[in-house]
Amino acid sequence: MGRGLDSAAITDHNSALNCRAFAACCRKLGILPIFGIEVTSIEEAHVLCLFENVEQAETLGGIIYEKLPDIPNIPEKFGDQVYVDEEENILGEVDKYLVSAADISLDELLLIVRELNGLFIPAHIDKPVFSIPSQLGFLPEMDYDALETTVIPCPVQTGDWTLIQNSDAHYLEDIGKRYTIYDTKSVSFPGIRTAIHTKNI
Amino acid sequence: MKIKELNEILNFELLTTCPDSEIVTAYTSDLLSDVMGNAPDDSVLITIQAHKNTIAVASLAGINAVILCNNRKAPEDMLPAAEKEEIAVLSTGLNQFDTSIAVGRALELCK
Repeated sequence: MGRGLDSAAITDHNSALNCRAFAACCRKLGILPIFGIEVTSIEEAHVLCLFENVEQAETLGGIIYEKLPDIPNIPEKFGDQVYVDEEENILGEVDKYLVSAADISLDELLLIVRELNGLFIPAHIDKPVFSIPSQLGFLPEMDYDALETTVIPCPVQTGDWTLIQNSDAHYLEDIGKRYTIYDTKSVSFPGIRTAIHTKNI
Repeated sequence: MKIKELNEILNFELLTTCPDSEIVTAYTSDLLSDVMGNAPDDSVLITIQAHKNTIAVASLAGINAVILCNNRKAPEDMLPAAEKEEIAVLSTGLNQFDTSIAVGRALELCK
């Protein structure tokens, strides 16, 4: 809020379990919450899957959890994977290692996100690791809603796709460091979707 | 060596029809951007990357066959894509290292 944001998205790696706390915190501050997951596909590429409702994000979260390999997280080595309530009380810990790749291809993931009426946005496509171009060597022709880049101009060939920028904040102080201004009549998920699709950004 | 002859030695499971192309060497990698940049022509790719985009990269890189290691399953859309590009897809329970040794020996590239 202090950063002047009207909306923010939560996109934990391969999990939607902090979305409910995020919703409550955003509600208090009058910010529009967007519920998402940064999914790691079988190609080990990161994709932002964004939704209007917590339930949609949690549905995808459940599917992704099932498709993660049975590799346990070792908190001492990899850090905690807790999920919390709005008061930061720990509700639980995810047992599977969330940095793993889910057994789901980009094409399969796109179908599921479309069924859930979400946005499918390849993450940080200019980065040398865990981006679709870094993993595949190219950007396949797919029905992306937009592409996320950390720099503009983007060094990757992005054709006619809409580019957006996000902070990809892993720490509080990074929130809002990069952002996108959407030209929309209302601060709402459909409004942002329309702005992306009509390139009103 | 033809793919068919190579697999007579390897005895892996052939998931596609067998094109009549030559294999002269192999490349082992699970990072497809690396495959794209470095795999030699007329090679067989040894990988666990079992999905359709592997076929796209293989076709661009001049790879004639893909061996999926560790019993990784080919998703539904991968095999028709491979047939279209005339790339053979084989499957084995061996890991990438053991598959590399087996292929190297079959191609008489190592003892």
